[in-house]
Amino acid sequence: MMIKDILSPFSAWKKVFDKPVVIKDPINDRPGADRYRGFHKNDIETCIGCGTCEDICENEAIDMIPVEGIETKDGDSGLRPSIDYGRCCWCALCVDICTTTSLTLSNAYNWVEEDPEAYRFTPGVDEKPWQNEEKGWKKPEGNYEFYSLNRVSMEHLHPEERSDSFVEMVKGYSKEQAEKEADRCVECGICTATCPAHMGIPEYIKAIRNDDLEEGLRILYDTNPLPEICGRICTHKCETVCSVGHRGDPISIRWLKRYIADQNPSEKYKQILESESLKKNGKKVAIIGSGPAGLSAAYYLALLGYECTIYEKLSQAGGMMRYGIPEYRLPYDQIDKDINYILSLGVKIVYDTTIGKDIMLEQLEKDNDAVFAGTGLHLGRSTRIDGSDHKDVYQSIEMLRKITQGEEVHVAEKIVVIGGGNVAMDITRSLARLQIQKYGKVQIITTSLETEDIMPADVEEVVESREEGATVMPGWAPQHIEIVDGKIKGLHVAQCLSLFDETGNFNPQCNLENTRFFEGDMVVESIGQGMDLSYLSEDIKEQLEMGPRGRIQVNDVFQTSLPWLFLGGDIIQGPDVIHGIANGHIAARGIDRLLSGE
Amino acid sequence: MEALLDRLKTRFGVFDFEQKKTYQSFCSVDKLSLVSLVTYLKATEGFKVLVLISVVDWIEDGKFQITYLLNNPELKTDIGIRTFISRDNEEMESIHDLWEHAPTFQREIREMYGINFPGSPRVDESFLLEGWDDIPPMRREFDTKKYSEDTFFPRPGRKTNDPAEYMKQKLYPDEK
Repeated sequence: MMIKDILSPFSAWKKVFDKPVVIKDPINDRPGADRYRGFHKNDIETCIGCGTCEDICENEAIDMIPVEGIETKDGDSGLRPSIDYGRCCWCALCVDICTTTSLTLSNAYNWVEEDPEAYRFTPGVDEKPWQNEEKGWKKPEGNYEFYSLNRVSMEHLHPEERSDSFVEMVKGYSKEQAEKEADRCVECGICTATCPAHMGIPEYIKAIRNDDLEEGLRILYDTNPLPEICGRICTHKCETVCSVGHRGDPISIRWLKRYIADQNPSEKYKQILESESLKKNGKKVAIIGSGPAGLSAAYYLALLGYECTIYEKLSQAGGMMRYGIPEYRLPYDQIDKDINYILSLGVKIVYDTTIGKDIMLEQLEKDNDAVFAGTGLHLGRSTRIDGSDHKDVYQSIEMLRKITQGEEVHVAEKIVVIGGGNVAMDITRSLARLQIQKYGKVQIITTSLETEDIMPADVEEVVESREEGATVMPGWAPQHIEIVDGKIKGLHVAQCLSLFDETGNFNPQCNLENTRFFEGDMVVESIGQGMDLSYLSEDIKEQLEMGPRGRIQVNDVFQTSLPWLFLGGDIIQGPDVIHGIANGHIAARGIDRLLSGE
Repeated sequence: MEALLDRLKTRFGVFDFEQKKTYQSFCSVDKLSLVSLVTYLKATEGFKVLVLISVVDWIEDGKFQITYLLNNPELKTDIGIRTFISRDNEEMESIHDLWEHAPTFQREIREMYGINFPGSPRVDESFLLEGWDDIPPMRREFDTKKYSEDTFFPRPGRKTNDPAEYMKQKLYPDEK
């Protein structure tokens, strides 16, 4: 026997004060390990009910169920996951894919109940002892991702390449880029409700993944006959609710739509969309205005066999899409691609014809079975501040129209634009291009009542305006235009404190102590547009029921109190292209219901 | 580790060497050299402990990857040896004579991936899946969801909703 053998039993004594690694009472006290995968927890305030957990579950252990007190609204289905522990295998795929990280697992695993139904519950809704347990399984940060959090970036022309030309600046996705971006979609479909036209977004993204772009085009045209246009300039409200956007960048839904439309050649549209022989039903519908609402109504009515004639005041079709949106954002050939397909179905357009002047609305009613008017907002609104009646104060909407028509517009060396919406950015950027062409440099200040965080313009529009040399100054209220010797010197503004009063009415409050002066030789007002309803005769106006805020009352299918007259687009809802498309589509169904006597 | 790698390269032709941590390295070796390599590592280089044997199914490449993790208790160092076998001929030489617990790993792999280890004791007996009559469940062509649907009866009273469809019913039921 060696000395070591005698001493070794005593060496254990040195551990006597260490924390024991064994559990004292293993029958009653059996905590799970720190990252043990036990029963689910769900933060139901953060959860949006996207159902991705249900989709990934290999055991069909999850149901999406309505929960009292949780409302179905934009970006939230109102459903919450309910787990069947007769099937759950605690693999935690549901936790790892969760788009909001609301779903986690506690480390609680021992729970005994006699009633087997107790093992089916809705975490976060049905009270459980472990619902505030910190320990358990959460998706590890930055370790692995089931879908990429970063969107495939879109190539743009550099500011120096684009600032003096009207060439399209967004280049579009390649096949590889589009498929990679489409691969990020979890197909939850939360976006569909928010899209005014309720487009089949997950379905067309899936078509891109399957490289079946003809199927993609068919899905687009189910709800939207202007995909080239919307694929470029849609306000993409869908992207604001995208479930993937909770942890990363939302899916580039708009650019993916453009990819499908761009890849399908116009010659093949009729074959792909199976519209080579449409049966006529012998009924006629007149449409006033060839903007998105009118074109959409005409398209869906033509599919149903109606003979549609669109009356357009100007010499080309497209309305605000052509005359309001600059060419660098929406090239004219792409507008033509969408419109020419609609015309190929037999829709006629009568150009340079103003209803109420060249033809009376009463005449249209006589010659047709129904009339749809989507006449839009084409009248500029003035700030009516002192000096706004000067000849060098212009309306953005009129200037944009003239630029499209190729007419010369006045471009001063220093310009002040008033407005914070997309139209204000459009005129800012168009004038910046013209200033470069004329003077070689940009000197534009664009100012809005709204502060940067609540400016109605898309963020990328503001960013790109600045890239192109314009100075955007949000949060200032125009006070008066200074005029010396008949010439504009600039715009006086005061800090804007708030836009709305307690009752929610538009009533801007200013701090007159904090003022600034924006120098300029001309001022462009871009603070919104009004409708021109001069085509409605007094007689007709009297018969129309009016709704709130001076709008004409329409029902759920955009029918007015005169059964033959339907209205839609910016004059009713919006203003934007996608609402116009949706209104036109619903009105087409309403007209069909009226005329087919259903 | 550098010196060891040089010896392994010359004798066994190992490739794809990767030092993942100071105490953990990986390398790959041809299927036919695997057993002689681990025998050498155990007998000569002090890697006396077989920590585990694991498998990855690279279905797209038509291969299974088998990884043998060995430990050298003196140096407190791990080495992982990867080898690839064809999915069409899923058979691997057994190492049951080198470590007493190796047959247990091999039996589990046989059950979960269907890879055979001829001569390994009790290799054909079921390990976890008593009465299993489907293809080995860890193979990637095994459709777990379909298996759940076919095997387990639906519990009465369960009902689910598709989020997009549910939102439509709630928010815009009248539109087609």
